Amino acid sequence: MFFKNTVFVIALFCAVLTNAQECNFTLKGAIIDFHDGQRLEAAQLYIRELNIAAVTSATGTYEFKDLCAGSYTIYITHIDCEPKQLTVKLSANKQQDIFLEHHIDQLQAIKIIADVHDDYQSTQSSTRIKQETLQEFRGATLGDALETVQGVTALKTGNSVVKPVIHGLYGSRVAIVNNGLRLQDQEWGVEHAPNIDVNAINTIQVIKGASALRYGGDAVGGTIVLEPARFIKKDTIKGSVTLQGQSNGRGGTITSQLDRYRKSGWYQHVTATAKRLGDFEAPDYVLSNTGSETRALHLTTGYESLAYGASVTYNYYDARIGILRASHIGSAADLVRSINAGQPFVVNDFTYAINAPRQEVVHHALQASAYKRFSGVGKLTALYSFQLNNRLEFDIRRGANANRAALDIDLQTQIAALHMLIDVLPKTTIEMGIDGAYQVNRPNPDTGVRRLIPDYTSVKAGGFASVLYKPSDVWILDAGLRYDHFMIDASKFYIQSRWESLGYNEQYPQFEVAQQGNQILTNPVFNYDLLAFTAGAKRVFNEHYDVALNLSTANRAPNPSELFSDGLHHALATIELGRLDLKMEQSFKLNAIFHANVGKLDLEINPHINRINDFIQLIPTGVETTTRGAFPVFQYEQVNAQIAGIDLSAGYDFWTRKTLKQNGNSSELTYDVVKMAHIDSRFSYLHGQNLTMNEPLIDMPPVQFTNRLTFYNVWKKLDVYVANQTVLEQARFPDYDYEAPVPQNDGSFVNETVRISQPPGSYSLWDVGISYEKKQFLGTQGAARVSLVAQNLLNTTYRNYLNRQRFYADEVGRNFNVQLNYHF
Amino acid sequence: MKKIQILAIALLAISCNDDDAPQLINEEEVITTVEVSLTNLADPTNLVVLKSVDNDGDGPNEPVFTVTGTILANTNYLGSTRFLNEIESPVDDITLEVLEESLEHEVFYLTTVAGLTVIKTDTDTAGNPLGLRFDLATGAAGAGTITVILKHEPLKPNDNTPTGAGGETDVQVTFNVTVQ
Repeated sequence: MFFKNTVFVIALFCAVLTNAQECNFTLKGAIIDFHDGQRLEAAQLYIRELNIAAVTSATGTYEFKDLCAGSYTIYITHIDCEPKQLTVKLSANKQQDIFLEHHIDQLQAIKIIADVHDDYQSTQSSTRIKQETLQEFRGATLGDALETVQGVTALKTGNSVVKPVIHGLYGSRVAIVNNGLRLQDQEWGVEHAPNIDVNAINTIQVIKGASALRYGGDAVGGTIVLEPARFIKKDTIKGSVTLQGQSNGRGGTITSQLDRYRKSGWYQHVTATAKRLGDFEAPDYVLSNTGSETRALHLTTGYESLAYGASVTYNYYDARIGILRASHIGSAADLVRSINAGQPFVVNDFTYAINAPRQEVVHHALQASAYKRFSGVGKLTALYSFQLNNRLEFDIRRGANANRAALDIDLQTQIAALHMLIDVLPKTTIEMGIDGAYQVNRPNPDTGVRRLIPDYTSVKAGGFASVLYKPSDVWILDAGLRYDHFMIDASKFYIQSRWESLGYNEQYPQFEVAQQGNQILTNPVFNYDLLAFTAGAKRVFNEHYDVALNLSTANRAPNPSELFSDGLHHALATIELGRLDLKMEQSFKLNAIFHANVGKLDLEINPHINRINDFIQLIPTGVETTTRGAFPVFQYEQVNAQIAGIDLSAGYDFWTRKTLKQNGNSSELTYDVVKMAHIDSRFSYLHGQNLTMNEPLIDMPPVQFTNRLTFYNVWKKLDVYVANQTVLEQARFPDYDYEAPVPQNDGSFVNETVRISQPPGSYSLWDVGISYEKKQFLGTQGAARVSLVAQNLLNTTYRNYLNRQRFYADEVGRNFNVQLNYHF
Repeated sequence: MKKIQILAIALLAISCNDDDAPQLINEEEVITTVEVSLTNLADPTNLVVLKSVDNDGDGPNEPVFTVTGTILANTNYLGSTRFLNEIESPVDDITLEVLEESLEHEVFYLTTVAGLTVIKTDTDTAGNPLGLRFDLATGAAGAGTITVILKHEPLKPNDNTPTGAGGETDVQVTFNVTVQ
């Protein structure tokens, strides 16, 4: 028994031993493109332990013969591919197919190459903001950074509340997408700025039309896509610290960022920002109560590999923003006085204190996403986000209410989405997805002020599919379709007399729930079916010229403000009324893009026209008298509108220097072209018309020109620029002036015209800036950069048509902005 | 991937629960009622009340004006003004808040009636006029208007005109009166 066992063990041992010494195994297989399953020719394989190499055949196969048993490390490389390393244990002949990521560079390169004229792979009108440009806006707002894009302007309330306007449209008509999902932060309000920290963003893409179907079809104005830094597949840590200080507002920002990447695929990002500013100053006076405080945090952790990946992101944004004290008025007569006086009624000494009126906003966003690539199919991504937005607004109030918020709204949104990208077909790329959003709006009843936006629950669910087809090297065709269903279920108290005067007691008796005091509780429920469609074609003539044409049509459901507003607006002395019977808006937009890139010149011309049927707009409808006096009533009405315009942008390197360079030790000589001076120009013109009433549309951005001349490397790495922004007076505006009885000192009343329509005059602002960068700062691996910019250098006094506070005060005056940055 | 879908649906489902009706909010700061009382110093039975009531606050209904009693010519009256929020129950007397924050308020009286004068008799805590109490003296018989304006956060002291005082208008009501 013992003997038998021993023999068996020895026999076994011998078998292992003999196997190990046998060196006649073959390792063979194919190198395959992970995406389309295509076999890759001319891939190189190298076995480190044996120092032998092989190259794949025309059919993508390889073979290593006469290998001994054992464990081998194989390196596989192929042109345009990520190199791959593999450990193979060999104890018999083996067939091993190896997948390589062949397309990875092509997929991601789109976003690297197309810096300025983005999306050369699509027909839509879109512009990307470069990282260097974003760098200049550390310390400013997202809206300010977006203004560097031709066709994008800002609708402001003071200087800290900045909303982006794309081709004349803003608010619910512009979607802001952060990290793949839409930001939900009560964007319907004119005085609500996007709750985003500009410092945590790596790049911004602005799509000027409803063609970004993936993010929802109802963005009739356009979509702003914010993207975090891309994953780097190596063991490294990147980071930066920026200190920004400014003279106007006497404050600044500190922001720091740390990104850790692992070759294994794991990565983490952290960005933290704190900002504090006191009162801004116009050339002639302090803009009292315009200080602000912002804190923001961004955290991400994730894993990325060829086949799959996942990430979790958390964004926190907290802002406390002072609203110009003088802009809070009680009656139409107060507004007349303010407009006639030409300067604010309340001007106090500079302070950092932020009193009423002010906003306090907190936004939390938690997001999870995961993707998997399926060989021979494409990439499937699943996303989920939870967003909580709380907004408090403090008004000038009496007595015990002075420190009580007049508005306190919690908006909770959950979004789930599935997105599939099919990129294996040679000429066709298909994208499709489904998504759903569930939103709950809960105003706090303890404010002692009737709710501006009622309690509501809304559900939006939809799906889209789009195709990009490249029949040849010179043509790109794309098309897409999206459908959404939107349901909103609200509970709102109307003042009984209002409910009746609007005729709702006859039109919507089914919504009435109960009467309480002089108010009536109602339960309006609405459903909308939204359809969006986009199609376009692009022709590339040679590497220098291309022309694209894109049509997008979209529906937008009325937002809660348009449906349910009812009450006095304190900054404009108007009574604003929503309408329950609003229909969907329908937009048809045509964008044409002519692009030339010839030598030192890069030129883009983008004419566009947007026809919007049932465009929802506030229109004056009458006057109502209350204990405070008479107020004009503005009600949301639907008109047919047309917005046409043209954007031009040009960059020209008018001075370059060639330096002769010797390549290493070889005798080969090459020219190195160094950019010495560059001029950048942008021009935008818009023509907005209310076709129903045959009058111009309100709040259309006036004609503007922006020019910037930069000299590079004036001394070592010192750059200098001069910039000018000229905005003409908007000559086209509807006349919404109204008459208000203004009490005179002798007790009589004089009917005065409240001139709210006339846009302010044209203005021209000059900026100069200087920046210096030092690589390997103080012997470290990092680079330090210092910049000094003087904004509104000539301290020009002006007012901006698109600033809601233009009736009360001038814009800010001269500002010196210093920025110190260290990054590694 | 399926798990994520299920998770997402589950999370969506969790939050679909609260469906309770919202709580009624009565506008707390609205002034619905302005009441000016005038008492003849020589004859306490000659009482005049000027009243403006806007029972729906910022709603569409116009304020309703009533004048009870007769304003006599060449007479001295003791005047006082009250501000009420009658939407609230019990009725909220906003005059008390104005008194409490006297530094931040002032009432102005404007008139087109010839010979009619108003002199404020009360002061805020800094000694500047407040205007809740006043002396009203009439001259010859005639007709015209009396306008009452309550300013929040006006400039103080000021030139006794609402224009010079600035601030925000919380009340602006005009009564048609006849002096007999």
